[in-house]
Amino acid sequence: MRRPQKTCAICESGVRVVDYKDERTLSRFLTERGKILPSRLSGTCARHQRQLSTAIKRARQLALLPYIKGFTG
Amino acid sequence: MTRQYEVVYIFDSALEETAINERLARFHALIQQPGGEAPQVNHWGKRTLAYPVKKHETGYYVVAKFDAEAPALPEFERAIKLDDGVLRFLVVVNEGAQPVPVTAGKSDEEDDE
Repeated sequence: MRRPQKTCAICESGVRVVDYKDERTLSRFLTERGKILPSRLSGTCARHQRQLSTAIKRARQLALLPYIKGFTG
Repeated sequence: MTRQYEVVYIFDSALEETAINERLARFHALIQQPGGEAPQVNHWGKRTLAYPVKKHETGYYVVAKFDAEAPALPEFERAIKLDDGVLRFLVVVNEGAQPVPVTAGKSDEEDDE
């Protein structure tokens, strides 16, 4: 039994290069704690998953996204 | 060889607009090429940071795109690093606008550049 292939949300939206400044879109690919969702769960293709991980890491450096969500202290 | 770069600055939000513009002019003078275009500057304004940076909760974001020779960058980055008004910055090669390099034996039918 194979599950149907999930389609890559980024390919479908027609984006070629993932933008690290667009933290709204990036936050869709994070867990509720702010970790990067594996492509196994999000269904992104390998190319876009690579671009996403770089973009999310850049956005974290720029304080657009948190390293850990909900962490205080 | 010139490449297109993109820099994001996070300034201290307590700084005046004029002080920020003065700093931007100083930084951009370092990467300005003779006869080249001035950098495209985009002010995002004051935003809340996702986590405190240098004990600041808010920052003033500015994004600039520019063309520069690679050897000019270390001096540019050093000048930014020495400035206390900049909380954080990031310089990256701008891939978005660059045409995709043509690799041999690979055809790309739908090219939307």
